[in-house]
Amino acid sequence: MLRTLKEAILGFTRAKTMSLFAILVTGFSLLVLGLFYLALLNLNTLIRYLENKVEIVAYLRDNADQSEVGLALEDLSRLEGVSQVRYMSKQEALDNFRADLGPDSDLLQDLETNPVPASFNINMKEGYRDTLHVQRVAERAQAFSFVEEVDYGRDWLRRMDIFKHMVSVVGLSAGALLGLVSIILISSAVKIAIFSRRKEIFIMKIVGATNWYIRRSFLLEGFLKGALGGLLAAGLIFAATTVFNDRVIPITNFSDRYYLYTVLAGGLLGLAGSWISLGRYLRRV
Amino acid sequence: MIGFRDVSAGYRRTRVLERLSFHIEKGEFVFLTGPSGSGKSTLLKLIYHELKPLSGEVIVADFSSNRLPRRKVPYLRRKLGVVFQDFALLENRTAGENIAYALEVTGASRTFIRRRVSRVLEQLGLADKEKCFPNELSGGEQQRVAIARALVGEPFILIADEPTGNLDPAISLDILRLMIEINTLGTAVLLATHNYGLLKGREDFRRLHLSSGRLVFDGPNGNFAPSAPPAEI
Ligand SMILES: Nc1ncnc2c1ncn2[C@@H]1O[C@H](COP(=O)(O)OP(=O)(O)OP(=O)(O)O)[C@@H](O)[C@H]1O
Ligand SMILES: [Mg+2]
Repeated sequence: MLRTLKEAILGFTRAKTMSLFAILVTGFSLLVLGLFYLALLNLNTLIRYLENKVEIVAYLRDNADQSEVGLALEDLSRLEGVSQVRYMSKQEALDNFRADLGPDSDLLQDLETNPVPASFNINMKEGYRDTLHVQRVAERAQAFSFVEEVDYGRDWLRRMDIFKHMVSVVGLSAGALLGLVSIILISSAVKIAIFSRRKEIFIMKIVGATNWYIRRSFLLEGFLKGALGGLLAAGLIFAATTVFNDRVIPITNFSDRYYLYTVLAGGLLGLAGSWISLGRYLRRV
Repeated sequence: MIGFRDVSAGYRRTRVLERLSFHIEKGEFVFLTGPSGSGKSTLLKLIYHELKPLSGEVIVADFSSNRLPRRKVPYLRRKLGVVFQDFALLENRTAGENIAYALEVTGASRTFIRRRVSRVLEQLGLADKEKCFPNELSGGEQQRVAIARALVGEPFILIADEPTGNLDPAISLDILRLMIEINTLGTAVLLATHNYGLLKGREDFRRLHLSSGRLVFDGPNGNFAPSAPPAEI
């Protein structure tokens, strides 16, 4: 094993340019993939933030029967996707209204009756904050005779739907394309690096090295090189997010785990690339 | 030791060797001659199993081409020493390291490797070149390092494909003398060349002569008279 490691490290010094090229290509590919993933991550955070505002408000008539209201509340809570139904009494609603108005609340000082209606404020679970589910709940609320009006920001919700759809379609296809391009780039770089060392492989074979022995040293080297590329990418991503956080706006960062994944992904790509490229030279008799 | 039984061989499109049969016994010295393209290198490839015969059987020690799984080929090669025209040395390793390399891949112990390497360096007069890199050595010295690497595993036969092709005549003769000396110590030698100058004055050496992929002479060099070249097919 020690000898294999020595071989692998010696391999770095052999065909230096080719090794460097393979490392840089791997690093660059992973950097682009990483930044792309980071962008998706932040778009998702933005979507979730916006979606938090999705709320269905059902305004109740003043003459609603309290026991019917209680039953309706239970009924609505059981609907698919509903996380919480809160009943807001007229008084509460008025207080909120006053708080919202702030200093201007004096205007409401001398009211004889409370003009603000009571309401159900319905929140949806994550993953159900779309037109389909929200509309279903809204319609159900509207069906109660003591519900005056239901409000849920119809247009805004539809725009959110389209936005989410676009992010997932574009994200998926661009991600797949980027991944494919990275794999092609990395495997060509590895192929070139190994081609530049075919004499060495020939010598190993001629002195009686087993295919396994040859594989071992090249695979370990491929893994180390790939991981180095991954480390490079991880370092650059870390630097980029740090700078962005400090100088521009705070964004969602990779969790530490993802830095590790980037390095591992580099290593595995290097390993797989070496395995595949080596096959050509080892299969012959 | 080495046996060809009715062997035909070639590459994807071309058939190169036609129905060769011969044997090389333990400790023999054999020249393999023939014009360029006659199939000398192809014949040697069959011995070190870089190539499989299309038909017939190649026997090397107790390995037969007909019953040799691919994963056993390295073990066959460890019983052979092979040298080439271009020396095939690793440029970023010293002479000593190049020689040691042949034993490292077999998983030999460090002390054994060190002992064998210094023995072979001594034997080939390379003791003072151990720490030199190939580009610090003359062509003749590089070929001697390659021969040392071929011998370090104590093969029963040394196979040389045009070993003097890149060397001037005087150095070529030195290399030939070295190989004859190695032969006297018991290692068989199969030397492929189209440098007929090497054969001058070596009348009682065995010679195999190829012409268009056929073995047209097998006998002492002094009697060299190849049978008529095969009619064009
Ligand atoms: N890898 C290969 N693929 C296809 N054809 C080959 C290959 N190697 C050799 N040949 C062909 O096989 C024939 C014999 O080649 P070979 O190298 O055995 O000749 P040779 O006697 O060693 O010649 P030289 O003296 O020039 O080295 C040639 O016609 C050559 O073109
Ligand atoms: Mg040849």
